[in-house]
Amino acid sequence: MQAKQLFISLLPSNPDPMYKQATDQIKDAIATGDLGPGDRLPSVRELSEALKVSAITIKRAYLDLETEGYILTRAGLGSFVADVDRNILRERKLGEVRAEMRRIVRTGSKFGITLDDIIRLTRQLEREPYGDDSGS
Amino acid sequence: METILEARALTKDYEDFSLRGISLEVRRGSIAGIFGPNGAGKSTLIKVLTHQVPHRTGTVRVFGQSYEEHEPGIKNRIGYVPQEPAFYMDRSVRWTARFAAPYFANWDGSCFYKLLDDFKVNPLRQVKHLSGGQRKLLSLALALSHGADLLVLDEPTAGLDIVYRRALLDRLRAFVADGDRTVIVASHITDGLDEIAEDVWFLNDGRIVTHEDKDELLSRWKWIHFREGALPRAVEDRLKNVRRQPFGSSGLTDEFCELRDELATALAAGDARLENASLEDILLTQIKEE
Repeated sequence: MQAKQLFISLLPSNPDPMYKQATDQIKDAIATGDLGPGDRLPSVRELSEALKVSAITIKRAYLDLETEGYILTRAGLGSFVADVDRNILRERKLGEVRAEMRRIVRTGSKFGITLDDIIRLTRQLEREPYGDDSGS
Repeated sequence: METILEARALTKDYEDFSLRGISLEVRRGSIAGIFGPNGAGKSTLIKVLTHQVPHRTGTVRVFGQSYEEHEPGIKNRIGYVPQEPAFYMDRSVRWTARFAAPYFANWDGSCFYKLLDDFKVNPLRQVKHLSGGQRKLLSLALALSHGADLLVLDEPTAGLDIVYRRALLDRLRAFVADGDRTVIVASHITDGLDEIAEDVWFLNDGRIVTHEDKDELLSRWKWIHFREGALPRAVEDRLKNVRRQPFGSSGLTDEFCELRDELATALAAGDARLENASLEDILLTQIKEE
């Protein structure tokens, strides 16, 4: 499978610290398959230069990713994506979806939008041709 | 909305620099920010608006009156803080206030000494022993102590440390809080004045490049970070300042509201992210485009 290119952007306006934005986006890249097991991550220097942050920020992100088992770092060779259990990646994303859903359900009950309304809307959105709703 | 100051097609020529047809209207109760790089003409414009140097063509009306007919009356109602305040250096702060007071119809000494106290400037000190920042604050205290309806400041934060800068910004906000009084401030932007200005004018090479309500300006200018190939071609072609990087590209748009729908797919898929642009980003981009 041809790996898609890695897309990372760190935003000063994001409430999360830079290193956490980096770890989250790399985890997402692993979850979506942009990065596969054994893929080599950019070097600390390469990434810090491109993202215009200090090497310390990227080092910290890589260290966290390694501690959590997402990547492996080999001295002199670089960092590589570990063989991550897909279920763990799915669970992590499910947690995020759950948080989003909680927000939606609470907004709904505050403004008189029922669960049926929300379910109907969700079905509708799923039917929309994904990736092509701009042209119509 | 009442216009407190109106300039029409102002020109002014120096040997190596010209103001080239400046028109602007400042609303009563607003904080008007005139921003631009060094040499753009900010100080010249401020001096023309406050009638300290004559202009060549065009008109200026302040409080609905012209300087030609009502100069003393207008000037009494303007508090002016120059870029480099000029004082008698060997005299004390108190002497300086006594010297200045007769020039104003509504001088308020107790207000002046209260401000000095707030700014922690010792009235007994000789002006030459004040720091550059303290001299600026002395100038501000003088400008705020004669019942002015319009405060005009040229690079007021230069030389101020963060504590006094914050005090100055708070003071300016308080000055316009009741909606009757107005502030015009010229600055090179990166000093917090861009936070408090509501109407902004960008000046470059003696001309106004942009004039807009700041909220409007910031809502249509956004940075878009995107995965290469994720944006519709038509959108990408309209971006300014595009920077291509190995892990994602970015560009500025000044038509975010129009592009919003076309960006929705990429945003939802996590293939694009938005970031607010600063006034500095916007000004730099516009200067580059000239």
